[in-house]
Amino acid sequence: MIGRSNYKNRIELLQGTLDMLILRTLQWGPSHGYGIVQALRTQSGEVLQLETGSLYPALHRLERQGWVESEWKQTESKQRARFYSLTRAGREQLASDLSRWQQMVEVIGSIMHGEPGGEEA
Amino acid sequence: MNWISRIFERRKDELEEEIQTHIRMDVLARMERGETRAEAEAAARHEFGNVALVRDVTHDHWRWNRLERLGQNLRYAVRVLRRSPGFSITVVLTLAVGVGATCAMFTVVDRVLLQTLPYPHANRLVQILELGKRGAVQYGSPYLDIEQWQKRGHAFSQIAFYQTAGKRISFLEGKNGDSHVLSTEIGGSLFPVLGVHPVLGRDFQQDPASGGVKADDAHSLMLSDDAWRTDYGADPGIVGKVVHLRGEAFTVIGVMPRSFVFPVERSLPMVWTPIVLGAKDATRERNVSPTYQTIARLQPQATLKQADAELKAIQPDIARAYTDSYDREDVSSIEVKSYSESLTDSKVQKALLALFGASGLLWLIACLNVTSLMLARATSRRREIAVRGALGASRWQIVQQLLIEGLLLSGCGSLLGLGLAVGILKIFEHALTMQFSIHETLTPDITVLAGLLVLTIVSSLLVCVWPAIGAARAEIEPALRQGSLQGTGQTKHRTRAVLVITEIALSLTLLVGCGLLLRTIYALKHVPLGFRTDHILVANMTIPSYKFTGTNMTTGFYQPLVDRVKQLPGVQSASLMTEVPLGKTYGMIFTLGVEGKSAADVRKRDLKAQFRAVGPEMQKVFGFHMVRGRFFNEQDTATSQAIVIVNRAFVKAYFGDDRDPGKMIGEHLLSLDSKRDTTVQGILDDERQVNVADPSKPEIEVCISQLAPDSDFYKFAEGVEMDLAVRTDLSPSVMVPELRKVMRAASPDLADSNFTTMDQVVEDSFGDQALAAKLLEIFAGSALLLCIAGIYGLLAYLVAQRTREMGLRIALGAQRSNVMWLVLRQAGWMLVAGLSAGLGLAYVATQGLKTFLYEVKSNDPWTMAAVTLMLLIGGLAASWLPARRAASVDPMKALRTE
Repeated sequence: MIGRSNYKNRIELLQGTLDMLILRTLQWGPSHGYGIVQALRTQSGEVLQLETGSLYPALHRLERQGWVESEWKQTESKQRARFYSLTRAGREQLASDLSRWQQMVEVIGSIMHGEPGGEEA
Repeated sequence: MNWISRIFERRKDELEEEIQTHIRMDVLARMERGETRAEAEAAARHEFGNVALVRDVTHDHWRWNRLERLGQNLRYAVRVLRRSPGFSITVVLTLAVGVGATCAMFTVVDRVLLQTLPYPHANRLVQILELGKRGAVQYGSPYLDIEQWQKRGHAFSQIAFYQTAGKRISFLEGKNGDSHVLSTEIGGSLFPVLGVHPVLGRDFQQDPASGGVKADDAHSLMLSDDAWRTDYGADPGIVGKVVHLRGEAFTVIGVMPRSFVFPVERSLPMVWTPIVLGAKDATRERNVSPTYQTIARLQPQATLKQADAELKAIQPDIARAYTDSYDREDVSSIEVKSYSESLTDSKVQKALLALFGASGLLWLIACLNVTSLMLARATSRRREIAVRGALGASRWQIVQQLLIEGLLLSGCGSLLGLGLAVGILKIFEHALTMQFSIHETLTPDITVLAGLLVLTIVSSLLVCVWPAIGAARAEIEPALRQGSLQGTGQTKHRTRAVLVITEIALSLTLLVGCGLLLRTIYALKHVPLGFRTDHILVANMTIPSYKFTGTNMTTGFYQPLVDRVKQLPGVQSASLMTEVPLGKTYGMIFTLGVEGKSAADVRKRDLKAQFRAVGPEMQKVFGFHMVRGRFFNEQDTATSQAIVIVNRAFVKAYFGDDRDPGKMIGEHLLSLDSKRDTTVQGILDDERQVNVADPSKPEIEVCISQLAPDSDFYKFAEGVEMDLAVRTDLSPSVMVPELRKVMRAASPDLADSNFTTMDQVVEDSFGDQALAAKLLEIFAGSALLLCIAGIYGLLAYLVAQRTREMGLRIALGAQRSNVMWLVLRQAGWMLVAGLSAGLGLAYVATQGLKTFLYEVKSNDPWTMAAVTLMLLIGGLAASWLPARRAASVDPMKALRTE
């Protein structure tokens, strides 16, 4: 009971960002779950240790939203794996996520780096 | 449910495989980096985290998940219900009875009252009726009046007129000989007013000034889809062809759409012929000016009320235009009615709604009964529910589970109820179609099925929400503690007692209603009808009189036919009559048209009488009793002195009851034609002509053999319909084929005449009452059973719950009779409370039955007392078994088992 609700909380905290990261990774081409984890890890210079436990629920959620689709294919090492790829809706979602994220970075950045506001006259 | 779970299994397998692939890839990658297999596997698993949890969380994202849970609940519910078959069967049967009765009645109500007319915006169609001193004018209005409404009424977009009276059933010459059709004469604006146009050919050419049909179209004819298919094989080139209706040539101008009917009757294919206005339409004279029925369409912004008020203001002016002061009184006012409402008479509407109400009452009783059962069950399942709660099921989940059980039960109940409804409708088909003039087969349709679905859901909600909420709200802890069946149980018993009391009260109401109708039927069956009904076969014939133009049907057709029938073996006597008593096929009312202004003359003109043309043998067939004088005999011919026979009611209405009926004999009454005045030769004892419950009506009879083609009555009496009545000891199955053979020989058109027995005619004429009584017998019987079952169920349950207490009482020295008395007392107060509430309810409810009752008052004390006694005895009998069980409790056993 306790473990489960913890998991849920963590997923919820990450949710928006995690979805965006997954969609971004899939922009370079279809990939399976393990591939996504590895891609995020190398891209972030080993900093981002993705919680694998939250990846699969996220993937299934994205599929249900219609942002990704999946099919079973052979990997280079001749293993059967489920490959996820972006759909048209997924691409649109990624674009809007990206612009929102950039906006947020700017806003937070300006608060964190900026001078105390211009309210004193 | 299987395919759903298969889909789930597949998805689960796939997720499992996905996870395993992930781990395998991680292991391989780690081994490539130099870790040993064991190290790599441990690390990979560690990094992946809790596999089971991932699986669970992922499942939650699946859309199907909820459905799967539903499936599980459903399977669980089936298991639970199968474990207690007695309970399940009782509930399903109870609900089936309630739903079945309601569904059957709803089907009838739907067919008769809710059926929308098959025309666009039918709610804007109205009928205009003239009325006056002597009620509504039944036969319609002359064109001049309709013209005034058209000119001066602004609430109507158009008024159309038509004529159905007279030769309604006609013969249409088709591919396979002549067939019967319903023919209606219509004005040119009728189809435009209804908003329906032919699919083939064209409309009648309307005369825009009058609303009639242009003279060029006087011999045009419109076919219904039905007539087009059956008589002309759906010939696409039919338009422009000449066909024969009643021997007259008509050119077909079009075919109406498939579903189109007018008037709303579906018994025969239809044709429409035009009304071309003539010189006679320029007068307002009784028996000269043709009269028409009207149907009008309201302007989009006008209401029925406005239209009614508008015409009511105009009508006095129109009435003034009548030259005859007597006729003027008949048309002094007007009424605008919704057309759909004008089609069912208010008595039928009331009868139906009363029966529908009764079936609803039965449904309510069934629901109460099931609720009571569910409550008992919820109490005995408290432990199970408490355990589920303790294991983490939320209250909503528990309610959901109980709701699913309820839905399952009421679903099964409804299915069974549907079967029951079909059965009830089948059994009562003849009576229902007779009483409510339904021409379609009576099977529940989509509307009814939708209604049934709603009933199912409502009844399952009604039945289980309350116990379910109660069960879910109950404290978990006390329920889990051993042997804690007291406590909240007390209030539940009280609730159940209230349910049973309500059941008793409602059942009593139904039973009283049923009792009153049974007494009515008994009274009706003992009404002296004034004629014999046994061993009489009746054939309703439709005579193709147009084939006899120029000949004398009396001598050329009727006489030979009757003679041949009389020669058949087994026939004791046979005769013709325009309509047998109580028959409903073709009634003729005769209005005396005497000139003159003296008080006696005016009174004479007020006299309306049932009119019959009969053969001289009629008395032998029906055993009519003569008060004075004689019946017709073989000596009454076209050349002898013309005579009529009247009945006692006629004498009473005509001369006042103080006068000796014998003095009527020899009076001149009417003339058969310009030369022959009739004298009254016989006074018939009263007999019931139209309805068993109605007192005898004035009647006047003429003899068929005295009617020659030059007589005014000839065309009314002989040309339309005629009933052949045959007295015979042989069974109808033997007699009917023989009769058909003779009739076919007389005229091929008579071969498909309709046969019935006089007993059946009388049975049918009991009408609403007989049908209502039979249906109520079923409803009330079911209610009585349910009610007794309810009392028994509650007491048996109470006794079971109190076994320990009873044992203790007996162990402490209570007499067994005391214990028994304890239980019976409980039953006693429920019965007293239920019966007194029921008597009050019945007193009010039966006021609605007043119009159906015959020779019994709606608050008849005998019926009330008898029904109360019956319920009391039934209730006490139901409590006898539990009481005896309570008294026979073995104290040792009772104390040990608890």
